[in-house]
Amino acid sequence: MTMTTAIEVRGLRKDFPVREKGILGPRTLKRAVDGLDLDIPRGRVTGLLGLNGAGKTTTIKILATLLRPSAGTVRIDGLDAVADARAVRRRINLIAGGERMVYTRMTGRENLWYFGQLYDVPKADLRRRTGELLDLVGLSGAADTMVERYSRGMTQRLAIARGLVNRPDYLLLDEPTLGLDAPIARDLRRVVADLAAHDGTGVLLTSHYLAEVEELCGHVYVISAGRHLAQGSPAELKAATGSHRTVRLTVTDPTERTRAAADAFGATRETLPDGGELITLRHPGDMAGPLTAAVFEAGGSIGGLEIAEASLEDAILTLAERGEAGLAGPGSGRPDATTIRPGAATAPPEAATAPPEAATVPPGAGTAPSEAAAAGVKGGTP
Amino acid sequence: MNPLRHSLRVFAAETLKQHRRLFGQPLVVFSMLVWPVLQLATTYYTLRPVATASRAAENWPLAADPDRLLAFLATGTLAYAFFFSLVQSAWHLSFERTTGTLELLFLSPAGRLTLMIANGAGALLQNAWLLTCFTVAALTGFGTLSVSAWWMYGIVLLALLIPAVAWGAFLNSLLVFSRDSAFLYTILDEPLWFVSGVRLPHFALPAAVQVVGAVFPLTGSLLAVRGALLEHRTASELAPTLLGLGALSALLLVAAALILRVGEARARRTGALSLV
Ligand SMILES: Nc1ncnc2c1ncn2[C@@H]1O[C@H](COP(=O)(O)OP(=O)(O)OP(=O)(O)O)[C@@H](O)[C@H]1O
Ligand SMILES: [Mg+2]
Repeated sequence: MTMTTAIEVRGLRKDFPVREKGILGPRTLKRAVDGLDLDIPRGRVTGLLGLNGAGKTTTIKILATLLRPSAGTVRIDGLDAVADARAVRRRINLIAGGERMVYTRMTGRENLWYFGQLYDVPKADLRRRTGELLDLVGLSGAADTMVERYSRGMTQRLAIARGLVNRPDYLLLDEPTLGLDAPIARDLRRVVADLAAHDGTGVLLTSHYLAEVEELCGHVYVISAGRHLAQGSPAELKAATGSHRTVRLTVTDPTERTRAAADAFGATRETLPDGGELITLRHPGDMAGPLTAAVFEAGGSIGGLEIAEASLEDAILTLAERGEAGLAGPGSGRPDATTIRPGAATAPPEAATAPPEAATVPPGAGTAPSEAAAAGVKGGTP
Repeated sequence: MNPLRHSLRVFAAETLKQHRRLFGQPLVVFSMLVWPVLQLATTYYTLRPVATASRAAENWPLAADPDRLLAFLATGTLAYAFFFSLVQSAWHLSFERTTGTLELLFLSPAGRLTLMIANGAGALLQNAWLLTCFTVAALTGFGTLSVSAWWMYGIVLLALLIPAVAWGAFLNSLLVFSRDSAFLYTILDEPLWFVSGVRLPHFALPAAVQVVGAVFPLTGSLLAVRGALLEHRTASELAPTLLGLGALSALLLVAAALILRVGEARARRTGALSLV
């Protein structure tokens, strides 16, 4: 295998031994990850999405060497995550949200020093780095305060600084903003974007806040029940699922003619308490203009217009639903894994959003707009 | 990447962690000095009337002299404090599973056995020094010490430190991967005190208890410490005891390394940082 600067995951599988009914019960295997292929290059934030229990945390822990894969390979800059685990540990770090992951009986600075020692960060570097990191997460003022007197957000920010203390080449983020206030979460997103863009860090991010994923990730993998479902840039995924924009138009004086105009678009109508009517149209294209024009020409007066963009959330939900339906069916093997483009691993971030050469799977049944097919995300099970 | 330097840095880190844990609460002087001394006094005044009775002295001549009885018990308390501080620190380490920091230790490239040894040694050095100074000063003051050579003090210190550190590494390794740390804590408090001959001379214990006691390094440490400090034993006279202690320490370290290997491999397979 050639040496690449990326995390390369091939055919990853993880079976957990589980015992039903206590320690004497029969042992079975629970498959948490089932044949994943991932490429996490430097300098890009790669997203890993899926519903609860999809296998995101399991995957991240395998990359972090905390779990051993049952099958498949994980290579980090050519190092094997199992055979060269110790060397790998120096190059990576993991930040998980929602837990107290630092020592409360030490100060913020002492915590960073402690972990710096464990990572054998050169002494002079460590002093400088500790200062920089405390600055970065806005804890300089509380650097010498015991963590037990920190607020939750401060503790979480310290946990983030802890994850950067060894200057990891690859940073694994498992729901890092869980439970954080909006401003702190925003600061964290800025830090993560900077790490990828300026320091060339390879970041793998899982998050339930899809807006966050949309903002940060150049490339997203969607998994369900441990299996690959789809991948692409957030825009490609939305296009592939034919996610809909929602147009909400309020007509103050609805008539038969305005109703007919709305119905012609296939919109739904709803009578408002004040006698007006709310026309709602979900459509993959930009229909706000044509709809408004048609209602206006039919003699309606427009009381309000609201357009909600398609969200990645819709796309993921659609994919997950499809995935579950598909995976349940017979003969639904692992989706074609050839979607990984050669050279993608070393490509600059923008390249991630470039459409793949060819679409193998037509997106969403029937509702797919033609431009989505052109965008060409290879979806999961058709 | 210098492995020795890395290990020393892990030692420094763990020492700070233990320092903050131990000295974080103002009552630390209590647990480090007042509490052991109180326990010593209780034992002494309970035992004295019995031990100094004429019949008892036939079997246990040392007990006839109240000062020497006190010295005997003081060395017991000292050695016990060494070993028990490691039970406590292992107990605390096992809680790092709950706070999530245990996983961070295993996420780091630090050597696992180094971490376990450093964690115990860091606690031991800070926990026992006060009591050590106190005991040595008190014994010297009473004039009950009977030491064959000045460097026997060094041997005493090593006979306490090395087995204690090995014992700490073993306990840490065990508790890190065990969900039943409370259970271990219970069996290692009073029973350890009893089977190791902290309050009674080893020969006075039933044979079965002596056998069980031999498994604990505290037993051998006590024999060495008392032999050197109270019975004027020379290094060569103590050699069998010291060799036994050395072998037991090595065994404990090997066991610790083994538990860590098996435990971590298992944790990486099952996802639970636990042996059970
Ligand atoms: N240690 C374990 N032993 C047995 N099964 C496990 C273990 N850890 C995870 N699983 C199972 O593996 C599956 C994947 O879990 P995982 O935690 O990776 O999901 P996730 O995508 O991170 O979910 P979430 O969004 O809830 O965090 C789940 O069905 C879970 O129950
Ligand atoms: Mg998870």
